[in-house]
Amino acid sequence: MPATDNQGSFLNRISIRRNQVVSMDGGHEQELEDLDLFQKHVADRFSDLFSQPPQQPSPDSSAESPAPDALLSISWLRKLLDAFLCCEAEFKAVLVMGRDPTQFSKPPLDRLIPDLLDRSVKALDICNAITHGVELVRNWQKLAQIAVFALQQQPIGEGQVRRAKKALNTMLTSMTLDDKESGHGKSTERTWSFGRRGGGAASASVNKDRTAGGHFRAFSLSFAKSWSAKQQIQAMSSNLVAPRVGEPTGLALPVYIMSTVLVFVMWALVAAVPCQERTGLATHFPVPRQSGWAQAVLGLQEKIGEEWKKKEKKGIAGVLDEMQRMEKAGLWLVEFAEAFQFPMESSKADEVAAQVAELADVCRRMEEGLVPLQLQVREVFHRIVRSRAEVLDVLDQVGKLTSPVPY
Amino acid sequence: MKIFLSHNEGIHNKDPAPHWLSQGISRVWTWKPCFIHPIIFLAMGDTESIIPAYDGEQHVIVAAQHIVKALAARKNLSNEMRKILADLDTHLSTMTKLTESEARWTSEVEDLLRCAQKKIINWQSNKSMIWDSGPQGVAEYLQEVDEVRRLTESLGSLLSSTSGKEKELLDLAHSVLQMAMARLEEELIHILARNHLSFEQICGTPAYSGVDEELAVSTEDDSVEEKSPRVSSGTESEESIVDLVRPDVISDIKSIARIMFASSYSQEFCEAFVSFWKDALDEFLVILGVDKLSIEDVMNMEWGRLYRRIRRWCRASKVIIRFFLASQKRLFDQVLGELGSPSLVCFIEASKVSMLRLLNFGEAVAIGPHLPERLSCFIDMYEVLASLLQDIDALFNEGDGCFIRNEFHELVTKLGNSVRATFAEFGNRVASDTSVTPFPKGGIHPLTKYVMNYINLLAEHGPTLNLLLERYGEDSDPVADADIFCPMADHLRSVTSMLETNLDRKSNLYRDGSLKHFFMMNNIHYMVQKVNDSELRGYYGDEWIRRHTGKFQQHATNYERATWSSVLALLRFDGKKGKAEVRCIKGFTVAFEEVYKYQTGWFVNDPRLREDLQISISQNVIHAYRTFIGLSTSINDKYIKYTTTELENYILDLFEGFPRSLR
Repeated sequence: MPATDNQGSFLNRISIRRNQVVSMDGGHEQELEDLDLFQKHVADRFSDLFSQPPQQPSPDSSAESPAPDALLSISWLRKLLDAFLCCEAEFKAVLVMGRDPTQFSKPPLDRLIPDLLDRSVKALDICNAITHGVELVRNWQKLAQIAVFALQQQPIGEGQVRRAKKALNTMLTSMTLDDKESGHGKSTERTWSFGRRGGGAASASVNKDRTAGGHFRAFSLSFAKSWSAKQQIQAMSSNLVAPRVGEPTGLALPVYIMSTVLVFVMWALVAAVPCQERTGLATHFPVPRQSGWAQAVLGLQEKIGEEWKKKEKKGIAGVLDEMQRMEKAGLWLVEFAEAFQFPMESSKADEVAAQVAELADVCRRMEEGLVPLQLQVREVFHRIVRSRAEVLDVLDQVGKLTSPVPY
Repeated sequence: MKIFLSHNEGIHNKDPAPHWLSQGISRVWTWKPCFIHPIIFLAMGDTESIIPAYDGEQHVIVAAQHIVKALAARKNLSNEMRKILADLDTHLSTMTKLTESEARWTSEVEDLLRCAQKKIINWQSNKSMIWDSGPQGVAEYLQEVDEVRRLTESLGSLLSSTSGKEKELLDLAHSVLQMAMARLEEELIHILARNHLSFEQICGTPAYSGVDEELAVSTEDDSVEEKSPRVSSGTESEESIVDLVRPDVISDIKSIARIMFASSYSQEFCEAFVSFWKDALDEFLVILGVDKLSIEDVMNMEWGRLYRRIRRWCRASKVIIRFFLASQKRLFDQVLGELGSPSLVCFIEASKVSMLRLLNFGEAVAIGPHLPERLSCFIDMYEVLASLLQDIDALFNEGDGCFIRNEFHELVTKLGNSVRATFAEFGNRVASDTSVTPFPKGGIHPLTKYVMNYINLLAEHGPTLNLLLERYGEDSDPVADADIFCPMADHLRSVTSMLETNLDRKSNLYRDGSLKHFFMMNNIHYMVQKVNDSELRGYYGDEWIRRHTGKFQQHATNYERATWSSVLALLRFDGKKGKAEVRCIKGFTVAFEEVYKYQTGWFVNDPRLREDLQISISQNVIHAYRTFIGLSTSINDKYIKYTTTELENYILDLFEGFPRSLR
């Protein structure tokens, strides 16, 4: 089901139900029904994401292009964010709308809300780090495009091959720098400084280093060095505790479900897109096996976790589908370039053409998808900000009801 | 035909290549436009059917010529057929000739390429940069590269029909061109690195100090002098633009851009150029003290530190957007504008990450708690960004830039909301501040001081707050008797009236009725004084001041009445005689001592108010005392404990805040 349809039908449901809440005075049964529907919708949305056509198991025949919304592809991530935005809107309706604010100051919410707010601030930082990461991927895409441009010329000669190799090497080096050192490589590359006066020592070193093969765009840090996406995810998931079965949970359950969804989405983004300091990123966090809504989340977690383990083992830059393909084709082409001799054998030409087509396909998808993805990440950012503000407003009302604020 | 002839001429005049090339560039230039491959020349005519002739095909052509001749020899041909065969024969002979000129052409191209390759490789192995070698070297190198580019183009246009030899040459040409392009990319970075203005140099420019007021304050003397001629001439936007690289290298950068674009290496040029300025902007932000902070960092930051960062952020936003980006945009337009390249796309790419950094700090502060002490910072941030929106609209008005622009607009709205919410929160605090014990000494309550000083600071931001509060308080009732009406005045009056209500509540904590009035007098007097002595006067108006002066005077009167009327009642001379008189004077002395004991501990901060109050008390007390003594018959010195002068002096001890005793 396309994401937009999903959203449309969901919005209708919300608006109808909102009217009901008002007219029916928000009784207990209504609340239970809301909760059931919320769980069901979460389950539906994540099942949709889970049942995407599986990626073609085609290790080397990369001419076979995978489905456009394969797991962890750009368009899959966009669907994931759509799903998040829908769940979040519905969650807010369950949590805030028509609710007696004093519930926020009573168990279990009094304990859960601060955690929820804390997680949302962490999620905001992750959103920003991801925006930064997508920007970096766009840069890699530009470099890959140079290679595609060079190698699509006929006949392929020494000049085109060297041009492509240079661009791809810059891309691959930047990928490794990002991955291994999370951007600490930046200072090693720059040979000038804006702080110093032009000329002099700074420029002299440009001379010496110019054999290094040009100028990499290394990954610049999004935040202070100590910030780590891995730790943020860890902190977000560490206090995720499922309400005990059989206990009258009330709002504890939707808060828990939404928190799990939030952590899952942020975790998937961190795994997929280059992000500051991800080494040792957890491959799973607790999700209750018995709950219906959690099945698809669990399934997705397992798959993405496997991809991540592969990444850690092989040292690839990220599990974003397009990026993996870009890296693979890039490595192949660099290897080809190392051994290249003019004129190219015609048997080789087909293989090269296939890899170039693969790279071109990836570039096209990135060109189409990265900017919208970035905008969507920003939308998620703003949504989290808004929801947080709404929850704070309710808390504020509670505060005024119970104890005056000392100045 | 002219072209063809000149081509031949070129070939005939040809000297041995190395010597010929070293003779000077001018010759190459004049020759070059005529350098057109024979096949292209033919293709310019109507000779679609012509099959190009090359080494291996020579035999085919000869064979074809034989066949044509044999066919033409047949007798039963129509005239039309004959003509066709004759034409074909002519064409075939041309092709044979062409093949010869073709071979000459190829070898010449090869010579040129090899020669260019040698030179370019020479530079490659040379440790020093070309642009450091002086204009002569640069011009030669650029000529050489352009030569290769043209050869590549010529060879490339024969793509579908080239022989093995020409394919090899094309490959060589591409290879040499690639080498040169990679080199030019390095040269570009070198030129930029060497010729960009450093931060200190930039700070020294008058345009910079025009934008950065903080700097203008610190180096007032020189900057003002430098600035004045600029202010009189030119518009505001021109004032804040500076050359980010030395103007004399712009043409060098442009020449590199031109040749890289012409050689289809625009992507590499843009990549290097954008990347340089991206890093420059990043570093500029660091120098201006805008750290890479996460939202969590900002949320957890201690207020003093955060305050300093907010100051830096305000300054950096102004300097970066109004000054640096405006200058950078002009540079991008200068270099890339005429190349039909997306100068704007490059500009946005170079600035996006840094803009996001500025935005995110703003977001982080805006989502933080709406603590009243942050109000003036919110207002500052709001004012800075709101004043920059026009610049932002001009810089980011297309494509991906719209994203940046919208984000800034949204942030301004959010900061505006924060201002309103914080102002409302301030009102809440004023209204809901509670005390359980009466404030000692009846002095000015900290809440009064806090509120009055706070709103006094807000007065500076009157226009902004008027704008923001207007939208917020649209449905609030205007104060009926207000002689000044604006949203700000409305809100300020409502804050002080909340304060008064609260003070009234606090005054009820005093058990002593006169202290209650004394407290109210003190606090309202303070409010009036603060309003009177500041810009607040404009918001409150004379009417408010008059009314509130009346209020505190009334409280003063009520105080006097509450304290002194019972004391003075003892001195009322209503025909008492003898012992009754003595009891009265003794009672008065005790009562006075009692008042003295307590009210020396009360406190009036304002000396004039204190004095006025003392005078008023003194007048009443001394007058009654003197009259009583003067009229009494049975009171001698034995009963008079204090002289009028002593009483006068004791009254001067009241309200100093140090409790004393006369016993």
